[in-house]
This record gives sequence, structure tokens and C-alpha cells, in this order.
Amino acid sequence: MRNPLADLTIPVLDDLIESDYVRSLIVGTVGVLGVLLVFGALFPETVVGDLSGIVFSTSTAASTSRLAAPIVLAGLGGIFAEKSGVINIGLEGLLIISAFVSVYVASVVGIGNTVLGVPAIWVGFLGGIAASTALAGVFGVVCIEFKADQIIAGLAVWLIALGLAPFMSTVFFGGVNTPNLGARIGWRYSATMVVVATVASWWALNRTAFGKHLRAAGENPKALDTVGISVSKVRHAGVLLSGVLSGIGGSALALSIGQFIGSGETMVQGKGFIAIVAYLFGNYNPVGTLGAGVLFAGLDATQIRLQQLGYAVPDTLVQTIPYVVVIVVLALVGRTRLPEAAGEHYETED
Amino acid sequence: MSRSDGGSADGSGSDRVPSIARRVVTPFVDRSVAERLLISVAAILLSIAVGFAIVLVSGRVAQCSTAAWTMPVTGLGFCYDPFEVYLVLFNGALGYPFAIGEPGLFDPSWTPFNLSFGLTLSETTLLIFTGLSVAVAFRAGLFNIGTQGQLVVGALATALTVLAAAPFLPEGPVAGAVLIVVGTLAGAVGGGLWGAIPGALKAYADANEVITTIMLNFVAANVAYVLVLEVFRAEGSSVVATRYVPEYAQFLPWLFPQSSDFALLALLVGVGFIAGLYYLVEHTSFGYDLRTSGMQAAAAEYGGVNAKLTTVRAMTLSGAIGGVGGSLWVLMSEGRWMASVPDLGFDGITVSILAGNNPLGVLPAAFLFGLLKGGALEIGFRTDVPTELVGVLRGLIILFVAMPEFFRMFGRYAGIGSSGPGGSGGSESSAANADDDAAVADGGETDA
Repeated sequence: MRNPLADLTIPVLDDLIESDYVRSLIVGTVGVLGVLLVFGALFPETVVGDLSGIVFSTSTAASTSRLAAPIVLAGLGGIFAEKSGVINIGLEGLLIISAFVSVYVASVVGIGNTVLGVPAIWVGFLGGIAASTALAGVFGVVCIEFKADQIIAGLAVWLIALGLAPFMSTVFFGGVNTPNLGARIGWRYSATMVVVATVASWWALNRTAFGKHLRAAGENPKALDTVGISVSKVRHAGVLLSGVLSGIGGSALALSIGQFIGSGETMVQGKGFIAIVAYLFGNYNPVGTLGAGVLFAGLDATQIRLQQLGYAVPDTLVQTIPYVVVIVVLALVGRTRLPEAAGEHYETED
Repeated sequence: MSRSDGGSADGSGSDRVPSIARRVVTPFVDRSVAERLLISVAAILLSIAVGFAIVLVSGRVAQCSTAAWTMPVTGLGFCYDPFEVYLVLFNGALGYPFAIGEPGLFDPSWTPFNLSFGLTLSETTLLIFTGLSVAVAFRAGLFNIGTQGQLVVGALATALTVLAAAPFLPEGPVAGAVLIVVGTLAGAVGGGLWGAIPGALKAYADANEVITTIMLNFVAANVAYVLVLEVFRAEGSSVVATRYVPEYAQFLPWLFPQSSDFALLALLVGVGFIAGLYYLVEHTSFGYDLRTSGMQAAAAEYGGVNAKLTTVRAMTLSGAIGGVGGSLWVLMSEGRWMASVPDLGFDGITVSILAGNNPLGVLPAAFLFGLLKGGALEIGFRTDVPTELVGVLRGLIILFVAMPEFFRMFGRYAGIGSSGPGGSGGSESSAANADDDAAVADGGETDA
């Protein structure tokens, strides 16, 4: 019998137009940066010079990687979930819960103490990942076992975390913001984790049997079922992975400052939604997601630095760019194609 | 409780256990509505139970000098009293009509026209509009997460229109009425246009409306913020806000205290909208187009419905209702547009889902959320429990309502349990019936 999986088309790699799209994004970004570098070197006393100085400075790199970590990591998680057929719109909630729990666990252990030789801040980091994974697990059960509407359940995950994190912060610390830990994780760690996670995700999605199963669960679950692999299990794995990756992102976000801020939209401030933007913009390609995440975070970091130099940049408008970009991209450039069976429940035929 | 709700929701379970609920409900509503109702009630009860557990656990972990509540038998002390939390939440939201710890059930000095109840109804009024906005789109098969953005745009349009038009009219009640009407229309147009964008993108560019509406929420909030910050900011204001609209152009708080930000007239307008939309969706040809393209787009197209145009119209209508919600927020609650717009649009999603996307269900669902919002303030005043608890409850309710299959599975499980031989099942089933009656009582209020 022929393997039904052999007939699956893999949109990201096989579709020439799609890969052209990612390639043109990369070329465009590199091109703009190159022009900026050349003009910056030629006219160092102008705005371009300042801009070039900012874009290619270490401090901008540091803040870019700090801002990009939650976006890219949650975006990668979103790819795993959505490729498996579960649209995870609750990434924002996963980031919030891991950001809070990481700080909480680190403060419970106490900075300076270790658990089994692991310093408190890294114990907190793991705690954040565990919390996010647990919440993603609940989301997975609700969506896959109880057949909940994925969009609504995802919104619920966001709203629960948005209420629960400040609630717990008030219970434990007496205010929606936690006190500062007095210790933090350097930006080089975040940058390394982002790059490693991107490469690993790409490899897992495109070069492993698991990746193939994951894509099959989202594109053609029946085919996967036919070869005797449980669609539910694969989807659970996809959702849990989105929890793990978002957990890394949320912990990195909070611990790079050493504090959780829970007022308003919390310190996550829509980064989970930007993550969705990033992976749609990157067309479900981890490398594209990294590019989009760095681009958005870089815009933000550059804007912050420009303001520090005294340029009146409308910061709110700069922060609006990613959202507008994704609408334009969805409408005009690449009609990002959702996996065929994403959002649908799959019933095993016994 | 949830097991009985699920039990009667499940057909085979109720064959064995003849349910009073079924006999009462069936003549009035079709089964799916009854099932939805039961699931909504079960979801609320389950959320309250989970919230209870959260209060209990966090009360154990939090540190305080004296225990607010001691658990019987075990003697464990807790910092928060979970019973008190819910008492304060629901009783407080109504302005304490129930006398607690005193003789008599009702407090004789209570009147409905008190501050707390006014705040609750104010929230209810606003949530009616955002809930209707989401519900209308849902009926057309569109998930409008963008009501928040439509509300922001509508509110700004209202504030700016009223501020611009006010100088041309002589002060007075007539001018006030004109300004309110014009301002509300401006809100409807603003919200409608903002809603038409994702509608058109969905219809003609195949862009997923979930994504575009989420993005447009951020765009609306940011652009409105910058506009007010740079152009329309009131002089000397410490927050980013427009000037106040004239006093006479705001809704008058009949009977209720001024500070409750509630106007009975606005609530009546909301109820009118509910009736109007119910009629529109269920009894007009546009409503028919809307529903069929929501259920079966291909079939609707075959039947001569212009599905693309219907999509745009539905989103425009949805946005316009959200925009009117924004108008009321300005003309009833705040008196001006200010940057910290509350999450009314997101709550509207919860309201609509809880209402089963039925315009008639929006009224009780909005009232429930109004109670939660009003009660949250009281929790802040009267207890040590963080008011964010209400946010958690909101999330839990939406989560549980989203998983009807859970209750059906539970119902099947309970159905098997109560079909046991003889008397052992009897007590369970009678208890189940009692609970169903409670659910029906809620349902009666729903349709009234």
C-alpha cells in the first residue's frame, strides 16, 4: 500500500511563490540595511548618520534581542500549534503567565540561592516554562478533547492569564507589579535562545518524521490517521510545544528586566499578538518568523533610541507599523494560507 | 449541578430521567436554544466554583495578620473568605438589597436607584451594544474580535462631532437632544466604517477577519491616541483626553445618582436595539441572507444571496453597533474621549458567546457581566481580595462556554450514573430536576 503521506504538498518548501515571498523579504531587509550603512558612513552628520549609528550599535542590538525574544519564540510556538491544526490565539496569555511565574519562582527560591546547583533565576526560568506549558496543556485538552472553538478558547486563555497574573501578583507581592529581583538575564542569552529555537524549529518541522506528522495533522488528518498515527496526540504535542516556546519567550521577557509588570495590558503589551503577525508575515517559516520578529523589535528599539537622541518620533505610530503591515500583507501580497484542517476537530473513525 | 445540566442537554439521558425542564422548555424554544441556555448556566456555575477554589488557595498562600475565614473541621485559616467574596460581589453590585447578619432577608431601606446598581446598569448598557455587535457578526459566520477598535473609533467620532457641532447650537435641552442624536450617528458611522474594512478585506481579498480585526484594534487604539495627543487634547489635561462635551449633550441620569454614570434612557435604547436586531436577524430578508451565509456560504450563494456583499454589510452593521456603544461610553459614562478605553469590546465577545449569539440572550448576559463589573468595585472596597479575580472569572466563563462537549460528556456520564437500578438513582434524578428548574427560572427571565 502506498503511503498517503507521500501525496501531501508542503506549502512552505514546495510552493515556489511562497519561498519567493520569504526570499524577497530577506533580500529587501538586507538591502535597506545595506543602503542605510553606506549612506550613514557617507553622511555621518545627518539623520541618516544617526540612524545608521543606532541601527548598528550594540545597545540597539541588545534591546532588539530583548524585545524580539518573546515575539519570535511565541511565534515559533504558534507555528507548531497551527501547523498541527490548532490555531493558538492565546499566545499572549502564555507569555503573560510565564512572565509572572518566572519572576515569582525566582523570588521564592531567592536570588543567590540554588536548587540542585541551578541558580534561582534559571529555576524561575524553568518555572515560567512549566506554567506556560501547563496552561497550553489545558488549552489543548479543551480544544482537542472537548472540541471547543479554538478561537474562543484561545481568547479565554489570554483573558484568564490577563486576570490571573496580576491577581496572583497582588496576592503574593501586594501589588500588580512585582518587586525587582535585582538580578537579570543578559541579552546574549535571549539572543542565543532565539537563534537556537529558530534553527531547531525549522529542523523539526522540515527534516523530521515528527514535523511531517505535525503538518499532516493540520493539512490532512485523515491521511495521518490512515497510517496509524493518532491525530490527537500529534496535535497535543503541537500545542504543548507552543506552550514551551512561549514559556521561554515570556520568561526571557520578564527576567531580562528582573520584574513582572501587571498594570494595564501587563508588560507583554500585545507581543503575543505581534507574534501571530510575525509568523503570518513569515508565512509559517521559522526563519521568516525570526526575520519578522527582529524587524518589528528592531523598529521599536530604533524608535526608542531615536527619541533618546532628541528626535520627535511618534512612538505610538511606529508601534502601529507591524499591525498595518500584516493587514496589507494579508490583503495584497501573500494570502497566507492556513493549514487545510486548522480550526477543525478531527473525529477518529473507529 | 453541571452534571444535571449536561444530562438534560443529552437526549438519551433525559429519556431515562423525564425532566421537568424539558417539558416546560420545549414548547417555547427549540432544543438547541435550551441546550445553549443550560450550557451557559452550567459554565457560569462552574466558573464560580473554580473562582471559589482560586480564592481559597490564594487565601491560604497570602499573608495576613488575622484569618478572614476558618475552614470548618480542619481549622485551617484563610486570608480571604470565599463566601464573603461572592456575597459582596453579587449583593454589592445591586447596592446591598439583601440584609446579611440581620433579621429579615431584605434591607427595607434599599432602593433600586442607588450608586452601585447604577454602575452595574451602566456597564450592562454598554455591554448590550458590544455584545450585540459581536452577535450580529457571529450570525453571519464572522468572528468580529474588532468590536473594541470599532468602539474606540466610534467613541472618538462621537466626541469630536459633538464638540465641533456644539458651538453652532443654542444651549439647552433641544440642542442637547440634537447633539446626542448627531453624536450617536457619528459614532455609528465611525464604527461602521472601521468595521467595513475587515469585512471588505474578508469578502474581496480573502483575509481572515480574526487576524485583521485583532490588528485593527491595535491600529484604532494607537491612531486615536496619537490623534488626541497631537491634535484634540484638552488644554491643561493631565491625561490624554479630549475636552468634555457640554453637560446638556450628555444623557441625563434619571432617578439614579449623577456619579453612577448611568442613564435609564440609554438602557431603553439598548433594549430597543435588542428587539430591533432580533427582528432584523430573524424576520427580514436581510437577516435571512445573513444567517444563511453564516451557516452555508456556498448554499447561500446558490440560493441567490450575494455572500460577499452580505459579509461587508454584516461587518458594517456590527461595527456600527459597536460604534454606538462607543457613543454611549462618551455621552453617558465619561463625557469625553480618553485614552484608557475599557475592554468593553472584548467583554462583548464573552457576552455574545454566553448569549449563544442570540440578540435576546444578550440582555441577561450583559447584565451578568454588568454585575461582575459593578461587584468588582465592591470587592475592592470591602474585602482584601484583589479585584482582578473578576477578570479571571470572565476568562473562565468564556472558556467553559466554549466547550459544550465537556458538559455533554459529563451529561452522558451522569446519565449512565442515574440509570442505575431502583432507588439509588432516584434521589439523584430528583436533585437533577430541581437544578433544571433553577435553570429554567433563569431562562424565563432571559426571554422576558
